[in-house]
Amino acid sequence: MNWKNVLRLINVDIKSGRLIRGKKLRRYRERRTFQYLLYGGAFVLGIVIGLGVGIVYNAVPDPQVKTLVEQGVRLLFLSFPTMVLLYSLVFTTMSQIQRMGVKSSIQLPYWLPITWEEHTLASTVAHLIGFPLASVILFSSAIATVSIYLETTHLAVLTIFALVASAFLASTTTEIFRVLQVRLIGAVYKSSGKAALWVRFFGSLLFLIAFYIVWFSLTSGGSSIALIEMLAGAQQAVWFVPYVWLGMALASFMNGMLAQTVIFSLASLLFILVLFYGAVKLNARFGLYEPPAITVSRGAYVPKVGFLGKLGFSSLEAALIRKDFKAFTRRRELMYIFITPLVVLLVPLMQYLGIYGGPVPPGASRFLSAWVLLAPGALMAVMLGTMIIGEEGGSVWLFFSSPITARSLVKSKYAFIIIFSCIVMLVCGVVGILISRPSPEITIALLIESVLLIFALGAVSLGAGIKGADFTEVPRPRMVRPLTAIVYSLFCLVLALAIFSPLLLYAVTAGYIPVTVVHIPASVFLPKIDLYIAVSISAVIALVVTFVFFKIALKNAKEFLIKAEI
Amino acid sequence: MVFASEAAVKLRGVAKRYADIVAVDHVDLDVKHGEIFGLLGPNGSGKTTTLKMILALIKPDYGSVNVLGIKAEDDPVAVKRQVGYVPESPRLYEFLTGLEYLDFVGDIYGLDTSEKKTRIEEYLEAMELEGREGDMISSYSQGMKQKIALISAFLHKPKLLLLDEPLSGLDPRSARIVKDFLRKLTAQGVTTIMSTHILEIAQAMCDRIAIMYEGRLLALGDMKELRRKARLPGSDLEDIFLKLTGTEDIRAVVEALLK
Repeated sequence: MNWKNVLRLINVDIKSGRLIRGKKLRRYRERRTFQYLLYGGAFVLGIVIGLGVGIVYNAVPDPQVKTLVEQGVRLLFLSFPTMVLLYSLVFTTMSQIQRMGVKSSIQLPYWLPITWEEHTLASTVAHLIGFPLASVILFSSAIATVSIYLETTHLAVLTIFALVASAFLASTTTEIFRVLQVRLIGAVYKSSGKAALWVRFFGSLLFLIAFYIVWFSLTSGGSSIALIEMLAGAQQAVWFVPYVWLGMALASFMNGMLAQTVIFSLASLLFILVLFYGAVKLNARFGLYEPPAITVSRGAYVPKVGFLGKLGFSSLEAALIRKDFKAFTRRRELMYIFITPLVVLLVPLMQYLGIYGGPVPPGASRFLSAWVLLAPGALMAVMLGTMIIGEEGGSVWLFFSSPITARSLVKSKYAFIIIFSCIVMLVCGVVGILISRPSPEITIALLIESVLLIFALGAVSLGAGIKGADFTEVPRPRMVRPLTAIVYSLFCLVLALAIFSPLLLYAVTAGYIPVTVVHIPASVFLPKIDLYIAVSISAVIALVVTFVFFKIALKNAKEFLIKAEI
Repeated sequence: MVFASEAAVKLRGVAKRYADIVAVDHVDLDVKHGEIFGLLGPNGSGKTTTLKMILALIKPDYGSVNVLGIKAEDDPVAVKRQVGYVPESPRLYEFLTGLEYLDFVGDIYGLDTSEKKTRIEEYLEAMELEGREGDMISSYSQGMKQKIALISAFLHKPKLLLLDEPLSGLDPRSARIVKDFLRKLTAQGVTTIMSTHILEIAQAMCDRIAIMYEGRLLALGDMKELRRKARLPGSDLEDIFLKLTGTEDIRAVVEALLK
């Protein structure tokens, strides 16, 4: 194995972040400080946490409490490897889902003198860049600092090794999953014929639902402490599962069982090697596999007579809307946008149905219906708005070279955001209503609020999406600059609260939400408000926001179409 | 601003800079109606930037671009309506089928439904894409994608075609079909400006050729005029090109490479 090749390949992955629209690539100067800010921040935070725990430990006079802290920390050490494994599995899988639709530089080993071992190792490590690596650094620095106070340096060193190994183990598993799913998808295409697209769409959604149900069931209780407790107990019970062997090695070390420590450590190492070489073999066999073509239609061509045309859209605008609808149901890398509404729907539902979390508090159904009716559609509008221009990727040249005006562009993209978000809102809302059964009056009010939120937040995020579009496609589509996405998401949250505030006031004064829940002192006078007036005020705020930000989106679109120098 | 123009495309003192790089350096150019015009030049000589300025994709820093009587800067959308464009490496929507993509482009140009259907079917047959039109573009070969890009440029019957390496990736038969088709369009008054590095194609197809180098127009004319300018009577376009661009001394380069 040529280690330099591996490092070069990882470097390419890191540098892919440079390809952001508008960035001058000549005389490119790396801003390393910014690049490593996440890792530096995680390192410092880890030390601060470690110092905090250490100081508390030293300050505690009671030896019994000291022992409790010690036990707690040891419990943490014990469960960290499996916890990192779980987190890394989630993040690397999500990263893979985003990469799937892009035929990136995966064929590189085919014509460059790079072996499959080098390619697989680089790919495995590259998947860890970002949040998984940051979490390993955070935990490691915290563990190292705490161990100085608790005099558990040997255990800390072993734990840090286990953390790194766990992250690698997760990424290798994801690599195997990626190769296998490419092959599996090929088989599905072949057998399902014309239905392949829908099989893929619903298959992806089912996978996401299953993935999150498992994830939330595992993290039952919602907090990391519950997860840690659960992991520490469960590890012993499932000692035969190779994925917990690293944790078992630590547990054995803590209990002074050196022989078991060595056995579990060596077994873990062997397991990692077997998985890695399994990934190499699979990559060599299926890495360049091209799934068969999906045939969508056969026979005579029948142009669609537009339903959208009847709604007042021109043929150009209708074509753009139809194209986007196909993009969001066919492009695998875009399907991850369904994760957010799914999570928003699944978490409270699982909590409500008792699959996840503690007992359901009385009156929870009111919150559930409000949350499920309001959040998925609004979140979808924000997400779609910010990414709807950047998702065009390299194909954006067609926008610049064809007679698309700024108004047509904004109108069609905005319409798509509204239609798609409303569909999501209705689907999620129906599930929520069926389970929590709110009163018809509240249901209608929440539906109106949700539509208002979709209209307002859709306009805000579309303007942001045009301004901050990022057409980078390799190694995964970025679609929007991260800073733009973060800033505008926060801004949308503030606006959503402003739009929703009249209804919130109604909910509090009408007794739907107890005053204590919203932390309002009893001395504060809350004027009573009628439901219809509350919804009307919300509508006025939403309409003003929509109008202003639609104009901003138009202005941004004009600038965008002029500055076609990508 | 619309005004009558004899030339299909008229560039006057057009210049474009990218930071400290001069992409196009005060170019004056007239392309006549119904001619196939070749734009040649080494890599980075400003051909693609010139094509993009004609399409109103890029605003020139100086000078004016007039396309089919329309000042590009004033009404870029009107220019785009009249033009069919194929970029050097066209990126298509890979999640659409060939048919869906052409349907989409037809709608973008506002084609009538029956007209769109007829044209799409004719072009698919001519380009021998029948039987694969219902497959997703992601499964197409490079040549098939190029064919789809070419059809999408021809679909709305543009008055001006801007083609950047149009025959790239095409098999000989399809390349021949495109060449013959472009000649037929010329007879109908359609103007074509093509940029290519395949000099044999330029020599065989173009009525007039412009050779660009470092953003400037080195020579312009038909083969006869180019030979006269290069003082190379009887020679082919390759020799003329290498002489005019000052890159004819390739022997030393080859020998250096062999070391």
